Amino acid sequence: MTTLKEPVLTKRIPTHPWGDPAERKLVTYDQYVKTDGYTGLANALKMDSKDVIELIKAAEVRGRGGAGFPAGMKWSFLPPEDGGRRYLAINADESEPGTFKDRLLIEFDPHIIIEGIAICMHACRLDTAYFYIRGEYHHQREMFENAIKEAYENKVFGPDSRLGKINDRWPDLFLHRGAGAYICGEETALLESLEGKRGWPRIKPPFPAVAGAFGRPTIINNVETLAICTPILERGEDGAKWFQSMGTQRPQGAPPHVPASFGPKLFGVSGHVNRPGVYEEELGITLKDLIEGLCQGMRNGKKFKTAIPGGISTGVLSTEDYDVKLDFDITKYDTLGLGTAGVMVMDEDTCMVAVARNIARFFGHESCGQCTPCREGTNWMSKMLSRIEAGDGTTRDLDLLLEIAGSMGALPSGRGATICGLADGANWAIRTIVNKFWDEFEAKVSSKGFVSLSVVGG
Amino acid sequence: MAWIAKNSATMQIDRRDEAYLTIALKKQLEDEVIPRYDTRMAATMPALHLVQDTHGWLPHQAIEEIADFLGLQASQVLDTATFYEEYWLKPHGKYVIWVCQSLSCEIMGQPGLINKIKSHLGIQIGETTDDGKFTLMDVECLGSCGTAPCALVNHKLHENITADNFQTVLNSLE
Repeated sequence: MTTLKEPVLTKRIPTHPWGDPAERKLVTYDQYVKTDGYTGLANALKMDSKDVIELIKAAEVRGRGGAGFPAGMKWSFLPPEDGGRRYLAINADESEPGTFKDRLLIEFDPHIIIEGIAICMHACRLDTAYFYIRGEYHHQREMFENAIKEAYENKVFGPDSRLGKINDRWPDLFLHRGAGAYICGEETALLESLEGKRGWPRIKPPFPAVAGAFGRPTIINNVETLAICTPILERGEDGAKWFQSMGTQRPQGAPPHVPASFGPKLFGVSGHVNRPGVYEEELGITLKDLIEGLCQGMRNGKKFKTAIPGGISTGVLSTEDYDVKLDFDITKYDTLGLGTAGVMVMDEDTCMVAVARNIARFFGHESCGQCTPCREGTNWMSKMLSRIEAGDGTTRDLDLLLEIAGSMGALPSGRGATICGLADGANWAIRTIVNKFWDEFEAKVSSKGFVSLSVVGG
Repeated sequence: MAWIAKNSATMQIDRRDEAYLTIALKKQLEDEVIPRYDTRMAATMPALHLVQDTHGWLPHQAIEEIADFLGLQASQVLDTATFYEEYWLKPHGKYVIWVCQSLSCEIMGQPGLINKIKSHLGIQIGETTDDGKFTLMDVECLGSCGTAPCALVNHKLHENITADNFQTVLNSLE
């Protein structure tokens, strides 16, 4: 069992087992500084910007927003400075169902994020940062706006900023309010939305690091990814070693380009457990430990049926995978990845057909409509699952369902038919649910006259 | 989301003499918002939010005024406004109730809850009560999965709601 020795991201936010969430209060700038705040930025400013990127690379920090892409590597994709503007876009469009981890940091400890933003701006020589926060986070937006004001007052940003001039400009951090669109969490859709357009993902390449917001080099990072840079830099040169003392190593025998899963991670647990909430743990904690330890077991003493490891796009785990290790290597259990680590736990009474219908409806509703396979496919699946749930489906519908799912998505499993990964999430979720809980679907449909041709597990 | 096909060729736009994008709002945008971005178009979403927060919703005249102000076509601003769920292109009740219907909320009892709210208010989803007080909407994930089910009433989030405690909340609203 891996256990975190001390809270890292939740150092100032009371969280089980170190504190009582009822005592959570906003950490102001002064309180933040009193508890060693902004020492990470001070350390970073003593270092050459390239060395900061090297440190993050050496620590092997992987993005916390869903894809798990190595953050240091992303930062090093930027072209050399040419005197023009370079942007940072912070993705706080936390809309994946099951995910509510960034909200905790934004609401209670905004300065750990702001410090991470400043570190990233120094490291990558970015002069303007946009904090893209989802429209529904009204209270959190107010909290963060106040924190930005405090940061300006204390010369983190603005004229005479302690970062100095970057690209001949004083660094700035602005808040940009979204307006309720899941797709804007996709990095290029976020940029389109920032530019005042509808959130339609862009075709890559060019990648945002080369041509992003307003056609200029742009780095896009999740809130938690930037926040985790702060405690690393607080420890200066030892930061990488400290970060790697937590989490799990790369899988045995894996080639060196497969990154390991180091560091602490926020897990947002929801569903049928006794004590849902956001917990900080090392990567590699088992689902069993998370549920039975921090979440105090299943609600009403029911049996575990399945869990979604990181937001609904990652698909479901089988009932037998109760002690799966929650790290980025989770894909071997036929999930799309760790995602956002928003763990959704379901007990034995949960109807998987209803779960599939809810997920299909979500993706049908949130598809941006740009690519036909996704726009039509997600809604088609949603209608079909509603029909199956109502008992009007046939066995042939199940085959058709898997066929539609397999024909949309940007990954090879979706035949590269779409621009972004929204359809991959939809297809993965539906396929894993149908394949892993085939019996339930079969029991719901009438087999009159039709024989299933599906190969289970494909 | 963005797929409302309507014939706008014969559409009549209700107009009033007073501008929705007032001089004060224009000044606020010009001083505080537009300098933040490289293009004027990027101020579209903040401008829409500002007019909506002031007026409650976005009449077509306001869309045209924003377009004029930002040097865009009205269709460009309408394109953005129709894509995002939070922008209202028609009036709504004094309180908008957004009930989360995503997975965590559904498995924690949202279906029963929404039925009770519907019968309490006597309206279906998307409708407004006759007295213009409440509009009921469903919405995808509000980011409050650990305290499901949840609902937003205007800008205020209510967590761990049950039919009873939510009814108390609704009754307490003026």
